[in-house]
Amino acid sequence: MLESAELYFNVDHGYLEGLVRGCKASLLTQQDYVNLVQCETLEDLKIHLQTTDYGNFLANETNPLTVSKIDTEMRKKLCREFEYFRNHSLDPLSTFFTYMTCSYMIDNVILLMNGALQKKSVKEILVKCHPLGRFTEMEAVNIAETPSDLFSAVLVETPLAPFFQDCMSENTLDELNIEILRNKLYKSYLEAFYKFCKNHGDVTAEIMCPILEFEADRRAFTITLNSFGTELSKGDRETLYPTCGKLYPEGLRLLAQAEDFEQMKMVADHYGVYKPLFEAVGDGSGGKSLEDVFYEHEVKMNVLAFSRQFHYGVFYAYTKLKEQEMRNIVWIAECISQRHRTKINSYIPIL
Amino acid sequence: MGSLFRSETMCLAQLFLQSGTAYECLSALGEKGLVQFRDLNQNVSSFQRKFVGEVKRCEELERILAYLVQEINRADIPLPEGETSLPAPPLKQVLEMQEQLQKLEVELREVTKNKEKLRKNLLELIEYTHMLRVTKTFVKRNVEFEPTYEEFPSLDGDSLLDYSCMQRLGAKLGFVSGLIHQGKVEAFEKMLWRVCKGYTILTYAELDEPLEDPETGEVIKWYVFLISFWGEQIGHKVKKICDCYHCHVYPYPNTAEERREIQEGLNTRIQDLHTVLHKTEDYLRQVLCKAAESVYTRVIQVKKMKAIYHILNMCSFDVTNKCLIAEVWCPEADLQGLRRALEEGSRESGATIPSFMNTIPTKETPPTLIRTNKFTEGFQNIVDAYGVGSYREVNPAVFTIITFPFLFAVMFGDCGHGFVMFLFALLLVLNENHPRLNQSQEIMRMFFHGRYILLLMGLFSVYTGLIYNDCFSKSVNLFGSGWSVAAMYSANHTPAERQEMVLWNDSVVRHSRLLQLDPSVPGVFRGPYPLGIDPIWNLATNRLTFLNSFKMKMSVILGIIHMTFGVVLGIFNHLHFRKKFNIYLVSIPELLFMLCMFGYLIFMIIYKWLVYSAETSRVAPSILIEFINMFLFPTSETSTLYSGQGHIQRLLLAVTALSVPVLFLGKPLFLLWLHNGRSCFGISRSGYTLVRKDSEEEVSLLGSQDIEEGTNQMEDGCREMTSEEFNFGEILMTQAIHSIEYCLGCISNTASYLRLWALSLAHAQLSDVLWAMLMRVGLRVDTTFGVLLLLPVIAVFAGLTVLILLIMEGLSAFLHAIRLHWVEFQNKFYVGAGTKFIPFSFRLLSSKFSDDVA
Repeated sequence: MLESAELYFNVDHGYLEGLVRGCKASLLTQQDYVNLVQCETLEDLKIHLQTTDYGNFLANETNPLTVSKIDTEMRKKLCREFEYFRNHSLDPLSTFFTYMTCSYMIDNVILLMNGALQKKSVKEILVKCHPLGRFTEMEAVNIAETPSDLFSAVLVETPLAPFFQDCMSENTLDELNIEILRNKLYKSYLEAFYKFCKNHGDVTAEIMCPILEFEADRRAFTITLNSFGTELSKGDRETLYPTCGKLYPEGLRLLAQAEDFEQMKMVADHYGVYKPLFEAVGDGSGGKSLEDVFYEHEVKMNVLAFSRQFHYGVFYAYTKLKEQEMRNIVWIAECISQRHRTKINSYIPIL
Repeated sequence: MGSLFRSETMCLAQLFLQSGTAYECLSALGEKGLVQFRDLNQNVSSFQRKFVGEVKRCEELERILAYLVQEINRADIPLPEGETSLPAPPLKQVLEMQEQLQKLEVELREVTKNKEKLRKNLLELIEYTHMLRVTKTFVKRNVEFEPTYEEFPSLDGDSLLDYSCMQRLGAKLGFVSGLIHQGKVEAFEKMLWRVCKGYTILTYAELDEPLEDPETGEVIKWYVFLISFWGEQIGHKVKKICDCYHCHVYPYPNTAEERREIQEGLNTRIQDLHTVLHKTEDYLRQVLCKAAESVYTRVIQVKKMKAIYHILNMCSFDVTNKCLIAEVWCPEADLQGLRRALEEGSRESGATIPSFMNTIPTKETPPTLIRTNKFTEGFQNIVDAYGVGSYREVNPAVFTIITFPFLFAVMFGDCGHGFVMFLFALLLVLNENHPRLNQSQEIMRMFFHGRYILLLMGLFSVYTGLIYNDCFSKSVNLFGSGWSVAAMYSANHTPAERQEMVLWNDSVVRHSRLLQLDPSVPGVFRGPYPLGIDPIWNLATNRLTFLNSFKMKMSVILGIIHMTFGVVLGIFNHLHFRKKFNIYLVSIPELLFMLCMFGYLIFMIIYKWLVYSAETSRVAPSILIEFINMFLFPTSETSTLYSGQGHIQRLLLAVTALSVPVLFLGKPLFLLWLHNGRSCFGISRSGYTLVRKDSEEEVSLLGSQDIEEGTNQMEDGCREMTSEEFNFGEILMTQAIHSIEYCLGCISNTASYLRLWALSLAHAQLSDVLWAMLMRVGLRVDTTFGVLLLLPVIAVFAGLTVLILLIMEGLSAFLHAIRLHWVEFQNKFYVGAGTKFIPFSFRLLSSKFSDDVA
């Protein structure tokens, strides 16, 4: 691609960018959150959400209102917006959108396989699947017994197929293997997405690469944290780390050797970006969890993505911000419905 | 005109509503639409207000009603429009209504659910029969051992299998058959192939008639398929894949006997279901028909109820919680009506203690209410589009009624076009009660709302058209021209006269291309044409030069009169708001500035018109040069209009120059002096004694709040000053900006009025071109076939006249007229910083009902 996307970006993607910026402006504000937190019941929450951009998206829900209903309706709304973007996009952008959906598809596949493992019916799990990652072949996932089966029978024709290169094995799919499969898929997905953005160049690369680098490193940290005390060997662990992050290669090697949280923190201390994050993590009950800290950082990066123009990052950022907002609303709604008001304020504010 | 000249006086009233009767009182108020409620709970979020529960109940009712309307529409039952004047339901009835509606909803949902279930059943059965019919052909072919059957996936040697053959091999042969979406067939086949590694045979055929999809209700094409497979394992997989692709799988009969039996059974069941479904639908229709009768009034009632509760949410409770307190803006003229409405409401609810009201003094600026009727509404809208007038300031809409159509007509001066526009507007006005017009689409509605404006615009255009003597670009000779060509011939004159003047004889007429009439020859010019431009100009080659000069001068004269009038209106504002000093320090310098420069220009124009005649025209000085010389003081003596011109001009210039510093500094210095207790400005004191006497401004400026409270509430204008902190720098800046704007504006705005000339010129030229290009061509054709050609030519001429000259030119003239009013006229006096008075009235709601229901 030539430099200076400014010249022709708007020809193909100007409409959608304008649209997504309008959508971003409709995210809940700080004042909205303050009001939401004051709600006594879910009905109050509904009334307040009506005054925001959500409108009367819950109008047709019969009583009683539950958190999961709110969640589904919000997801549906996001999905509608996303579908609109996707249906109106032209080539490089539509590929970008496909990459975005891949992560949800991976999650859905894994969810279905886990469900099959626990002998739950497909329909039951389908409800829980993220609507953005839906695809037709999805429901046939439980036919497969090994990853290569899964690949050759079900996923060959989906966008997920290229990510399967590393995980073709004849292992039976038990819980650990599924988790390994998920991480391997994610690793190759992130690397492919990173490569796509890098090759695209321009502002898109400048915005998306840091976001994806952070995403990769976050996965590395999470994998490390989750593997403490499991039978996963250190060598195996290292193969799961996505290699497109800032931690690659030195940090990943060190992470692979880490044995507890303290050692992980020491690895992070070598990196200017992650040091303050790990310092913000409170120990024990008082402070924030590592997850929250990562989310906050993600929100910050996504909001910053809107400060540049003529790139695809805004679409990614908007989806992520909207997801964060949905998590926040669900969190607040859960706190309200469970009468657990002490923690209601620990949502992640979107600046 | 009284009510249109200034907005109505408003007062702030407090309503004390007994909590038992509040609902009825508000209902009575809503019907009358007299008052605007103020939100007393602004800092309470929407879900923490008192009547949230009731609002929610209304929303629930609305949801049910929306559901009903949706079902009724789906069943194609006409919705009768009930009366809209029904009052909000009394509280006792609300519960009853809610119960009724809920019961109806439950019943309806159940019946619809049953119906859907039955339909689905029926659909399944129909699908099954189709499948049986189609698969029969598959099997037949199977039995016939067709060796190369192209629909089969390519198989190895053992693909040629029939049922008996498989049995011999000892494997269990299974069949799965069903229907699948048209679009999914290919992927389905591929997946089957991949998963079962070819151990299946898939046969499919398109179903000839499209069926409904039970999930989405869409009518789509389906494929019938038959999968033959062997082995349990594969059977499971096949079933899972079928699930994945949302196939409708039906049991496959193994023998022909079984197939026939099933078919028969299905047929009887389908018939049964048909009758049941029919009955259910009939019942549903009955229920819906009954609901449809009352749904419209219910919708309106619920809307009214919801509106009442929204207003109640704006009220605050008093300490004892027995009484709701509402604050309202009410026009003083309507206070009686308000009292009566409250009494009515209390009586209706049978309360022992009546609700009452009292007016309270306030410092806030009340909303602006200008009562309009259908005629003045359009003009008021033009003004409001610029800005709603501040409370009690002069409303330019009164003058706009005449000036707007007039300025438009100056630009659109054509008798014929004006008449067409007038007829169109007259048509709209005469049919204004026609329902189609009221509900018409956007552009038509725009015309409809502006019908009275159009009417006047048309009338004025006819008038200016007569003045310009333009009718479809042609002049009309009504009274006979004032010019005589005959008088130019030498034969008519005595020889003595012939010597002095350039006269025509035969050779002159024959040999010159252009002939000039000389008005100084006696008899050639017999006095002006009685009305407007002499039609003879239509023949003259210098017509344009003549008209341009006339129209340009006319625009300047009109413009300056218009602007001066604006400044004069400012004086009315200052008088009303008791800011007399503004008259002396702002308005009068402004007037002097304007009149001494441009007023003098007008004087010169008219003077020249009156004084110079045909004989003396050659010595007449140019106004432009004169006007420029007024500022340049040329050393050499030039020709003057009148004696002593130099002195008068110098005097005027001096006045102009002097008014500028007064405009810049007068008001700020005066205010500073007032602020400092009128003491330290020794110099200016003597000059302003007159102002001091009657200006009540000073009283308030002294900061004595007590006097303020006691005085009449009406003087809101002065009160603003007290609340603001005195900031000399700011006042100076504002006044400086205002003055600069005004002084520069006088020049640029005068130039801006030249658009009157430019547009009228453009309009005249455009219609002239249209005539020359079309009609002249059409009329020149010979007499035999001319008629045939003339008809389409006239049609095209008429079409283009309407499209280009009436609509396009009309719009552009309209826009320019709006601009002249908004910018050039209104910026001389109009603040337009008010808020509109929006009464709580059910009538404002009811317009939306029809949209919602329809």
